[in-house]
Amino acid sequence: MNDIALFAIKFVALGFAVAMFAMNLAVVLTWVDRRQGSMIQDRVGPNRAVAWIPTPIAQGLALGPAVLLAFGVLGYCFKFEVTGPAQEQRGALFSHLAVLLLWLTGCVIASKVKARGARSKFDLWIQTLGEPRFIFFGGLVAHVALFFAALMLRGTPGGATFTEITSRVGPALFAFAAVSGALYAAYTIRNEKRIGLRLAGLLHPAADGLKTLFKEDFIPPNADKFLFNLAPFISFFPALVVLACVPFADTLCFATNADGKIQLSQLAASVPRYGVCTEGALKIQAIDLNIGLLYFLAVGGTGIVGAALAGWASDNKYSLLGGLRAAGQMVSYEVTMGLTLIGMIMVYGTLQVDKMIMWQQQNTWGVFAQPLAFILFFAAAVAESKRIPFDIPEGESEIVAGYFTEYAGMKFAMFFFAEYIAVVTASALMAAVFFGGWSLPFVFRDGIHLSIGNTAVFDAAMPHGGVVALGALAFILKTIVLCWLQLTIRWTLPRFRYDQLMRLGWRKLLPASLANILLTGFVVMAIRTAGPAVEHGMSVLTNLCNLLLVAGGLALVVWFAVFMCTPRKRKQLLATTSAQYAAEAGGTRTLRMGA
Amino acid sequence: MTLDTKNLGPRKVSGVTVSRPGRGAGVQTYIPEIAKGLAITMKHFFHNTKDMALGQRNDPVLESIEDGINTLSYPEQRRPYPTRFRGLHRLTHRDDGSPRCVACLCCSTACPAQCIHIEAGEYPEGDPKRGYERFPKRFVIDELRCIFCGFCVEACPCDAIRMDTGMHAAPYDSRDQFIFEKDLMMSFPGRDGSFATANPRHEPGEKSHPGIDRTHGH
Repeated sequence: MNDIALFAIKFVALGFAVAMFAMNLAVVLTWVDRRQGSMIQDRVGPNRAVAWIPTPIAQGLALGPAVLLAFGVLGYCFKFEVTGPAQEQRGALFSHLAVLLLWLTGCVIASKVKARGARSKFDLWIQTLGEPRFIFFGGLVAHVALFFAALMLRGTPGGATFTEITSRVGPALFAFAAVSGALYAAYTIRNEKRIGLRLAGLLHPAADGLKTLFKEDFIPPNADKFLFNLAPFISFFPALVVLACVPFADTLCFATNADGKIQLSQLAASVPRYGVCTEGALKIQAIDLNIGLLYFLAVGGTGIVGAALAGWASDNKYSLLGGLRAAGQMVSYEVTMGLTLIGMIMVYGTLQVDKMIMWQQQNTWGVFAQPLAFILFFAAAVAESKRIPFDIPEGESEIVAGYFTEYAGMKFAMFFFAEYIAVVTASALMAAVFFGGWSLPFVFRDGIHLSIGNTAVFDAAMPHGGVVALGALAFILKTIVLCWLQLTIRWTLPRFRYDQLMRLGWRKLLPASLANILLTGFVVMAIRTAGPAVEHGMSVLTNLCNLLLVAGGLALVVWFAVFMCTPRKRKQLLATTSAQYAAEAGGTRTLRMGA
Repeated sequence: MTLDTKNLGPRKVSGVTVSRPGRGAGVQTYIPEIAKGLAITMKHFFHNTKDMALGQRNDPVLESIEDGINTLSYPEQRRPYPTRFRGLHRLTHRDDGSPRCVACLCCSTACPAQCIHIEAGEYPEGDPKRGYERFPKRFVIDELRCIFCGFCVEACPCDAIRMDTGMHAAPYDSRDQFIFEKDLMMSFPGRDGSFATANPRHEPGEKSHPGIDRTHGH
């Protein structure tokens, strides 16, 4: 049983998970690109796709998960009693989670009531609390009060009572918040005939994807049928499989039996700060290659063949031009991509991505060590994915749709999809190589250790599973942020001309990446041959970099909270009779259509 | 008198000379400029996404000059038509609820699209209105032929037909649904919700009536 599960995880589940991650994120990206890309132009964007579901099922969808969650939490907490520091941790975790869920639910309900008016006694009551953001402020006060109460009472006799209360009331309150929020939603929709499931417009790319499956699979009469059919797969496949060399989380350490086989049921409770377990190690990575980055460059490079083949096989002038452009562009930028990574390889001293991340965990994020390499790599990665401002191979205004002009239906969708998957994979690699992958500043394999030089400021042990889960979350978040940054670039910059593109690639990025290698070589040599004083100085510097990251992260959180709470003041303009009629009616009303 | 020649002739161009943008390292490397552009994109992104998520979008009609998403999601949201919009016709009522129309055929005569059909009827013997005015037995407008020019409203001497309903013709299934009969057009209120008009009527026999009819002329 254990062996089968292990085999499934190592050879099937991890690869499947990686592929699903890339493809689902690509779908979400198409949505973000259309919907949020419209929003930056002050438009709503495609959001009309809707799936109608009967009200009882909708109520079930709201209540079911909430009740399951509530029972799960309550059952877990009362079945597995804990004492001592573990109880304290559980109390703190669940009391804060409960407060978080309470104010979040309160805010959502209050803003709904504000938008549509009160419909029940509860609505009237929540209106008396004032603006939705006041509920958030209340929640913030509750968080702070909880935190300081725990801090003050720690070690006193009252502390034990406090822990006892929080560890029991916390889960109960959490369950109550989840169930009552779902109950409110179910109660509010009780009189509707059916409920439109819109998922903020996410159904739109799903509907588009489904549509392409049913479209005519057109092949031009004089096209090379075999190559024409092969090209989308050659384009799609490398974009997806390059992700295999990127680890999604820290290596998991398990106990082993007498034969040295991993026991999946026995995850190590805690692991030492430095080094990785040699026995019972399970890497969260589809394939563990010792050539790492070379695999990425080699497989990623074959994507060029797909675009060039598509252009050649289509029997179309525009396709051929597009294919030529794609080949020229991708080969040019491949060079820069490889050369910038050489700088990183010199710093890390390894080709393996997980070892690179280990280096970043012990020191600091790679972007601090090689800022120029990051900028060059980012530019080259955007060019590799053939997206604006480097989308000359498919430049609509010049060559229709470039190398996939003749493609329709699912084959077109595969090219389209490959582009977005290339964005995801490039982001994942950048997150791993430049932004610490699954590592967070001051979070080590055994917990949080905040120290500057040799002075320890804060230490807290964390369980092994928790650290790994946190790391996986961090990695996914970093990937998403980098994807979003690439999309933002697409929304901002206009397309380059082809000669500008080539000039940028060969005359700017390539010399800059060569200079970066030279400079990195000197600096790395200098630091390695310098004495322990310099080494100590470097470690303080890396700590300061990490501190900067933490401070920046905190500032971002504070800014976000303030930003979300700041109301927007707007002026009304009643210059037209049309506007006057609307003002008389109390604003432009939203009628319910077809519901 | 001396001629003022000072202000004659081509006007002098006034304004500030804008120097060419600098070609310093910041512009040449392109990176700070990209950062500026990204900052503007992100500003719009965050503001609009927040408005959307919190349901605080601009009112697309009232606050259309403000930054933010001004999209009008038709048909869920509709911009009210302005006061002078010529919408579907309505036939105004008298105090007793009968149409004000006297079947004079001025509107159907004025109609360039010839979409108005009126069958006039005489009031019965003994009615004070007999011999003074007629009434429409049928009053039909083909809203598909109508070009919404408003000539009928201009032509009407009795303020009996108006186009101030603020409604547009709905897309019906078949052509005969666009043939609007008298009763239907009498069921539409004006924008103010009333079926009457602001112009008072003076029925024969009332004090305010000037006493003019077919036999007692001017």
